[in-house]
Amino acid sequence: MANTVIGSSIVIDGEITGEEPLTILGTVKGKITVAQSVAVEAGATVEADVEAQTVTVSGRLTGNVVARERLELKPESKMVGDAKSPRIVIADGAGFKGNVDMDV
Amino acid sequence: MADKETVIGPETRISGEVRGEEDLIVRGRIDGKVQLTQTLTVEKGATVQADVDVRHLIVAGTVVGTMVASESVKLVSSARVVGDLASPRVMMEAGAAYRGRVDMGDIAAARAAIGSHAVQRPAASEKSVLRPAPPRMTMPAKAVVAGKAAALVAPTAPGARSAPAVSASGSGPASPPAFPRVAGAMGAMTPAWAKKKIRRR
Repeated sequence: MANTVIGSSIVIDGEITGEEPLTILGTVKGKITVAQSVAVEAGATVEADVEAQTVTVSGRLTGNVVARERLELKPESKMVGDAKSPRIVIADGAGFKGNVDMDV
Repeated sequence: MADKETVIGPETRISGEVRGEEDLIVRGRIDGKVQLTQTLTVEKGATVQADVDVRHLIVAGTVVGTMVASESVKLVSSARVVGDLASPRVMMEAGAAYRGRVDMGDIAAARAAIGSHAVQRPAASEKSVLRPAPPRMTMPAKAVVAGKAAALVAPTAPGARSAPAVSASGSGPASPPAFPRVAGAMGAMTPAWAKKKIRRR
């Protein structure tokens, strides 16, 4: 489904913008702005501010996240940074440090 | 598939540096720098405006920048490419549009050049590729005389630039039989967009 895939050996230093789902298995540093979903898969490292409709983290994410619809931290994930989203799911076993803003 | 292949989708744009040890397929756009130990494929409709250092380079879309491929370069018929090219094997299909210098010899030197360029000017690669003639750079406020001198020098630039490319194809180690024919056809088949750019210089 995902139209853009950043493979596990890829390192991107810069900015990613797009209108389609983004799956990250490798490393991205910088900034990510996507109209659709961003998936940070297990083993992936993201050091970036992320803005998307839905963000799903299974790997490691450092940066501020704005998810217009939903942010989900999976069991083995680690996230450091501020999270802003109307729906935030933090699974048992996920690591998280930062502010949560659900617009309430 | 997802483990050994990276795809930049048609609606995605990356500006910055991409490094990796796997195949990369671009359907969208990359601006900046691409460094891979495997194959970079620029598909039809995709744009890469970057210094490229890869093993194999396959272009069906648009590439603007300096390209180094340690094993091979293939420009298919829909390719539009501007920039210097260094690789031991270079293949161009009929219909491919290319302007720049081809070097089938010293890949290491070309790679070293790309590295230092990238450090000095990460985003300015397009400009320098399109206007490599240095005389223009040295005529900022220096009266009309300087302008005339540049005008005299400028028309010779395309010829001077194409000469090394021709000699490179003659002395190239691989020298596939199809290459001279394609190289000869390049002049006659230069597309309008490339001619416009050449005329402007």
